[in-house]
Amino acid sequence: VSPLRRGRRVAPALALLLVAADAPEPGAVVSPAARSVAAAQQAIEARPDHAAGYNALAMAYARRARETSDTAFYAKAEQAVEQASRRAPGDLEIERTRVWILLGRHEFAAARERARALQRRVPDDVLVYGYLVDANVELGSYAEAEEAAQWMLDLRPGNVPGLTRAAYLRELFGDPDGALELMSQSYDRLQPAEVEDRAWVLTQIAHLLLVLGSPGDAERALEQALSLHPDYHYALAGLARVRLAQRRLDETAALLRRRYDAAPHPENLYDLALALERAGASEEAERAYTRFEKEASAESEGADNANRELVFYYVDRARRPEDALRVAERERQRRQDVFTRDAYAWALHANGRSEAARSEIQQALAVGVRDPLLFYHAGMIASGLGDLPAARSHFEKALALPLPPEVEARAREHLARGGP
Amino acid sequence: MRSRRSLAVVLVPGLVLSVGIPFRSGWAANHREAPITALDHKADITDVYAFRSYGAGDSTKVTLILCVDPLLEPGNGPNWFPFDPDILYEIKVDNDNDALADVVFQFRFQTEQRLPGLFQVYAGTGTGVSAPSNSPPPIAPGTLIVPPLINDFDDLGLGQRQRYRVTMVKGGVAAPLANANGAPFFAVPANVGPRTMDYTALFNAGIYPLANDISVFAGTTDDAFWIDLGGAFDTFNTSKLPVLSPAEDAVLVNLASDSVSGYAVNAIAIEVPITLLTRTGNIEPPSSTAATIGVWATTSRPRTTVRRSPLPAASSGAFRQVQRMGNPLINELLVGTGSKDRFSMDQPANDAQFASYFLDPGLARVVNALTGGAVAIPSPPRLDLLPVVTYGPPIAATGTPTGPIADLLRLNTGVAPTPPASASRLGLLGGDPAGFPNGRRVFDDVTDVALRLVVGGVLAAPFPGFTPGIGDRLGDGVNVNDTAYRTDFPYLGDAPSGRSRRHIDPGEPGCTAGFGAACLP
Repeated sequence: VSPLRRGRRVAPALALLLVAADAPEPGAVVSPAARSVAAAQQAIEARPDHAAGYNALAMAYARRARETSDTAFYAKAEQAVEQASRRAPGDLEIERTRVWILLGRHEFAAARERARALQRRVPDDVLVYGYLVDANVELGSYAEAEEAAQWMLDLRPGNVPGLTRAAYLRELFGDPDGALELMSQSYDRLQPAEVEDRAWVLTQIAHLLLVLGSPGDAERALEQALSLHPDYHYALAGLARVRLAQRRLDETAALLRRRYDAAPHPENLYDLALALERAGASEEAERAYTRFEKEASAESEGADNANRELVFYYVDRARRPEDALRVAERERQRRQDVFTRDAYAWALHANGRSEAARSEIQQALAVGVRDPLLFYHAGMIASGLGDLPAARSHFEKALALPLPPEVEARAREHLARGGP
Repeated sequence: MRSRRSLAVVLVPGLVLSVGIPFRSGWAANHREAPITALDHKADITDVYAFRSYGAGDSTKVTLILCVDPLLEPGNGPNWFPFDPDILYEIKVDNDNDALADVVFQFRFQTEQRLPGLFQVYAGTGTGVSAPSNSPPPIAPGTLIVPPLINDFDDLGLGQRQRYRVTMVKGGVAAPLANANGAPFFAVPANVGPRTMDYTALFNAGIYPLANDISVFAGTTDDAFWIDLGGAFDTFNTSKLPVLSPAEDAVLVNLASDSVSGYAVNAIAIEVPITLLTRTGNIEPPSSTAATIGVWATTSRPRTTVRRSPLPAASSGAFRQVQRMGNPLINELLVGTGSKDRFSMDQPANDAQFASYFLDPGLARVVNALTGGAVAIPSPPRLDLLPVVTYGPPIAATGTPTGPIADLLRLNTGVAPTPPASASRLGLLGGDPAGFPNGRRVFDDVTDVALRLVVGGVLAAPFPGFTPGIGDRLGDGVNVNDTAYRTDFPYLGDAPSGRSRRHIDPGEPGCTAGFGAACLP
């Protein structure tokens, strides 16, 4: 699983945009973003005619949205940015804030368009390149993302937003070692007071350590993240993945329950439902699936949605392949990133269109991504087409990475049979 | 409501230029550069020169010079100013009008510390000084304490010694340029002072003639550039700006102080036959469409790349460009502060993205405004500036493919060099076809020429509103260098000595000796 996919509501690559922002007072108990909200409100009170206070408030709310995973903060951020824009139309800082909010809203195409315009206006601005990376990664335009990330690294060598984005691209391009190298460099460069940023980077480091086969180290990094930022939803999810890899299924479910409580979004509910099912809590799992379907369907046409999970739910659980394909096609029109392609391929395969599925998943794999579920899906698709050598190769790659137990069992079974 | 006003103008690109430049930039050559380069002094390119060699017997060659590391105070020990071994220094030449490099000269340096126990990197006097009879143990009387005067690169007192390698890349093939006898190239050190070293002897020993009529040089020299820098950066508060009288314009005398006087710079120079640079391999006549080349220089440092190389050894081979320079005016004078870093790190072939800066220069609007309209300027787009940023007359021959808009120093290699005695500091504008903006010689007054070019009416036919005697006589009043240039390769002057350097202050009598002669205040 990729860190970005986990990052629902706010693409986590957006993290660290503000690492250089005002350092919070030491010893305070509220979160950095909550403190920034309060500071911005004071600034507005002092100078209500100035745009800067409103812009700071918008950024603080957007950041709070990531901390809490509560999208209601985006509505507040949008209101604040409108107030700022009214006071200073066209201001660069405010335009940047708009792009950030659009990204948080998962309006990736609109965000990219605005970021490109800003880049032409101020080509030295490292963060604008960061937005271009984020939008392009989400849309699946990896070449443009890579170019923008390289400009970040060149313009300001060692800048944390550039390092984290380059790290994520390295992972997508199939180089988790290289990703870990850059993510560790980012961690070393963070301000001690920026606890949420540190927790976020630690969570990414843990994810990479797990992929690289060091669950113990991953666990330690996550414990550190949770001590920095208690109940941090990203870290809880990371720890759940470690527990799943360790086959400690009850603990996995308990962690994902906590995560869902902290970040109650449909895709997190889907993860929880799967975990409950694996832990043998069938009734609770059933309720969770039902609620997931209702909520995910309700937001399926919006930009910020759980369509990927909904596709897998329809294929793997509800056995409604036509519904899966309908949702997958819609999402695939919006974005062509590797994970959307994976879901679309899986839906095509479930509808008997395995040739099209193979072509789709090969385009995802060509990016270089080494995701166990993607390999598993590729194996099943190849197997369905009778291409046994390809299937074997995909299954072997999947099994070298952490897989959920039932997926691992199916992959082993196919591998042993040497055919469907 | 000042803040509202400035926010509003940010919306209009044309106005960004006029508001942004006077307060954030200047119009010197690149002695102060884009924001990030300003933080990387070693990689900061001050000047690039390219000209047909005017030394005796060398007129079929071109000299290319790259200067870095601005405003070096000659007495600034104990380490002085080595080249940076991490930096890849390059001079690049386009010879087929596409703004891409066809011939590249690369320079990499290595530093040795030969006297690691000494507290400064250079030391010497006379024939050396030994410990006297009362020298406390463990140093026995008679032990050499201070080395002899340095006048050779092998001398003991040259504690910090830099050697360098030169590579020519042409047609994708990299060929090392080396001494016939295999001896290394040494960089000339800073001029510490007369007791320590015979700087001139080291300078002369640092000129390396190679096979194939190529010569190379690297070292700390006089900064060949001159300008009233302080006046220029005080929002054009120079003592003579804007308009020089005909007499002031004609004399080779300084009417204002040369702010760069008494400072050194690190210079890399190479002289090569014209036939090595043109795409035909011939010396073309000036009317030939193959005669004009485009020159620029870059400094680069190792970088982190998004994709790691599959070969670990090659991962360290990637460089990020820190700085580039073609014309002496473009980045400093025209490019907006919010674009300077991207400009510095991008390739000339991509300069179309900066075309609005080139063709509606904010500087022209500033001069127009500061003089209350007395200095008229043409309306944009300023197509009269195209010869500086594309290939075209009066520099390149008619019929030369213009190529993309790109900041290259364009040199028509067919134009014979002007003998120094009859050369004009105003180059092309002074009726001297072998001077800036047709290439750039060390003694070309690029400040005055650039100012007149940007304000307009001098390169192309005068525009409506142009008044002779105003736009064509702008200048800062600094007309000559403070010290003499060599009249042969590398054409640069001796670095001022750390012991006796002199910076000429505003109000002081300036250098009045003029080109070619010793300058004594």
